[in-house]
Amino acid sequence: MSQRQYICLSRIAIALVGLILTGMSGCESNSSSSSNPPGTASSQSTTEEKGKFSHKQIVADFAKQVVVPTQQSFVQRAAALSTAIDTFAKTPNEETLKATRQAWVNTRAAWEQSESFTFGPAESLGYDGALDTWPLNDTDLQAILKSQDRFTPKYIEELKDTEKGFHAIEYLLFGSNHNKKATEFTPRELAYVQALGVNFAQVAKQLADSWTKGVEGKPAYQEVVATAGESSNSTYPTVNAGAEQMVQGIIDSLIEVADEKMGQPFAKKDQKLFESRFGLNTLKDIKSNVKGAQNVYLGAFPDANTSGASLSAYIAEVNPDLDKRVKSGFQDSLAALEKIPDPIEKNLNNPQATASVKYAQEEITEVREILEKEVLPLIK
Amino acid sequence: MAFDKPIPYSLFPIPHSSFPIPHSPLTMDSSQFQFFPPKLPSQKPLSSKLWKYLILFGLAFLLAWGLSFLFNRQELLLPTGILAGGETTVNNRTSLGYSQPAPNLSPSQLDLHTEGDRAFEATFVTRPADINPGLGPVFNNASCVACHTGDGRGMPVEGQLLVRVSLPANAPVNQQQPVSAGGKNTRQQTIFASHPEASVSLGNAPPVPGLGTQIQDHAVYGYAPEANVKIDWQESQGKYGDGTQYSLRSPNISIALPDGEPLPQNVLTSPRIPPSVFGKGLLEAIPDQTILALADAEDRDRNGISGRPNLVWDGEKKKLVLGRFGHKANTANLLQQAAAAYVNDMGVTNPLFPEANGSTDIDPATLKAATFYTQTLAVPARTLADNPEVKRGHKLFIQANCNGCHIQELKTGNHEIKALANQTIYPYTDMLLHDLGTGLADGRPDFAATGNEWRTAPLWGLGLTQTVLPYSGYLHDGRARTIEEAILWHSGEADPAKEKFRQMQSGERQALVKFLNSL
Repeated sequence: MSQRQYICLSRIAIALVGLILTGMSGCESNSSSSSNPPGTASSQSTTEEKGKFSHKQIVADFAKQVVVPTQQSFVQRAAALSTAIDTFAKTPNEETLKATRQAWVNTRAAWEQSESFTFGPAESLGYDGALDTWPLNDTDLQAILKSQDRFTPKYIEELKDTEKGFHAIEYLLFGSNHNKKATEFTPRELAYVQALGVNFAQVAKQLADSWTKGVEGKPAYQEVVATAGESSNSTYPTVNAGAEQMVQGIIDSLIEVADEKMGQPFAKKDQKLFESRFGLNTLKDIKSNVKGAQNVYLGAFPDANTSGASLSAYIAEVNPDLDKRVKSGFQDSLAALEKIPDPIEKNLNNPQATASVKYAQEEITEVREILEKEVLPLIK
Repeated sequence: MAFDKPIPYSLFPIPHSSFPIPHSPLTMDSSQFQFFPPKLPSQKPLSSKLWKYLILFGLAFLLAWGLSFLFNRQELLLPTGILAGGETTVNNRTSLGYSQPAPNLSPSQLDLHTEGDRAFEATFVTRPADINPGLGPVFNNASCVACHTGDGRGMPVEGQLLVRVSLPANAPVNQQQPVSAGGKNTRQQTIFASHPEASVSLGNAPPVPGLGTQIQDHAVYGYAPEANVKIDWQESQGKYGDGTQYSLRSPNISIALPDGEPLPQNVLTSPRIPPSVFGKGLLEAIPDQTILALADAEDRDRNGISGRPNLVWDGEKKKLVLGRFGHKANTANLLQQAAAAYVNDMGVTNPLFPEANGSTDIDPATLKAATFYTQTLAVPARTLADNPEVKRGHKLFIQANCNGCHIQELKTGNHEIKALANQTIYPYTDMLLHDLGTGLADGRPDFAATGNEWRTAPLWGLGLTQTVLPYSGYLHDGRARTIEEAILWHSGEADPAKEKFRQMQSGERQALVKFLNSL
């Protein structure tokens, strides 16, 4: 055997041993990674290495600086609404009625800003349905008012979602034609709206608690979002999934706004399809929806002056032009909404309103498409 | 020119990353070789015998290495199934992951899907009403989406969990009266033409007088619900092979009639949670022959797994056909599934189940759109398919023979919706009925399904269950709070697979669950 052959053979043998060792070590690392305690650094980094996007803080701040403050603002306004209704029910006059209606509008503004993040316990535990189901069940509502039923807290809690919440309160406060006078309220109506207000404020509080404290023995949901990408987190097993939740929520809300809330009443020329038609508040709802979507992108809740690490800052880092276009897309959308004659409910057959609605839809769709086609791929 | 394009890298199986060969021996010259001095001291030439031994040694090494490689890398041979729904797959691992339209729909199909989305979201209210009249008079919930939240499964709570009831098949004939929805009412019944429930039992699940085959535990104002359903949970303890304790819960359903009386003793009950609705069109497009070929009713292959097709009544064709949908595969297709859900769950009459006078609450276009919506929801792509722990879990899934029923790969055939036709899909079901043992049994037959049998639940998208709806449960009645609990409830034909899981070490169990969560 020549020296050359010997070396060649030895190399093969060494390479084989090397390969086997590598194979074995690969096997070992498989089993050891599974026995890592949840949330250890090594298991986190594995997930983060996967995609380019790995900014945990952006997802955590979304939960803590955007979602939770928005909900807390909603809780405060819901409590103020309940108090205002109470005052009105005790001393019904035009002044207290006006204040109560304004409290409803304020509460609505906070709530509609949360439209981009309606996921989580609000759905599971029924809070979303109890607060904001549409349409109103007018037939049941009239029957309830005609009945002798006592409006105990338990009774209100067990009502169907279409018999309570935002739109039942709206209907009672504003009337079906937006011309209800304080003197027209029957004692039953006053008692009913008062009981609905108390229930509403309670459910709002439970919703916020489900994110900050956890209810019914469940963990605080803000932590589920904030720990996206940790190995113990099966809800969001990657940081990317957490960031995607933010962007998909925005996209979903913008589709809802452009194609449904504005689109459907105009497409079908039906005034009854406007969501907040009793309070003539639909356009304000829509503006709040877009503002809420913008809040998610900017990582801030301006109403409460909170902010944190943002998607916007990340996008600005990797593609400054894209960030500019998203930001101006939101601004242009909001500006376009300002041009629609308000109340939108009374302008269904106004050609100028139709044109300005179409323009706003286009602006909203444009920013939505940028998010879909250009922003999403950067965080996936 | 097709050849101008580089072949996509991802088409090829990528070797495991922990498998680096820093310097290929083929490209190395001896001067780079660090382990041996460049010149060996002069030695005695090796005898030819030794030479042979060395070759044998080398071959043995090669064989050992090859085997160990294959043993450790079995998952390379497994289908990754990332595109779980073929061309209908979307990449979305969020709470909206079940709610996306299939990306391969035509623009007009996408419009119909969107119309169906509206129908699916529509909340019905008491007649008369401007918007969405037709609820009830008795019902379980007021919209499709109220139970199938985010197009996923519902929860085992009042309003979402529903109870199927029937009399034993041998009940006296005079008890087998057809019933009308409505029960005992306190309000003028003239407002509502009463309508029958959509149920055909063919004799083995006769309706219960006053209740039909489903308890509607809600009613519009002024009407009494058919019954009150209360759910309590009882816990039972168990142990994994390694001694770790676990606790399983099962529901105790108590049902009270409007007069406060309990249900008669002989009434059979079966609590069910709403299943998820995405990917259903693909399941509809699997050819009958494919499903029937998987069936092994007599267990001829003696693997302990039988698998039987359900044969159910097709109300349109007026004959028995293969059942596919529902926890016991008791419904033939999605149109009939949707129509039955409208009338039974919401009290909304429709072209398949009209009022006695022929009128309906929704028109044919609405029923069609809602059905189309459930047919054309995308399937979410898998996540973390390259993760080593996930791959290990996949291997364990196969080793435990979970895929004996949860068949990984199937192919769809023809379908009137072209986007669904001829797709390779990874639903993890055989669409067949299996005996899962007495622990899960409801004791209530449903066409060919016995009281012990359930249809293999598809596992695609499983990892998003609680992303879409936190705290929702698994199995037909939502009793399992975690995937582990769901596996542990398997018995009967699935007992050997369950036992394998129960005997696994904690790291293995964790890997298996991580794999399931990657689906």
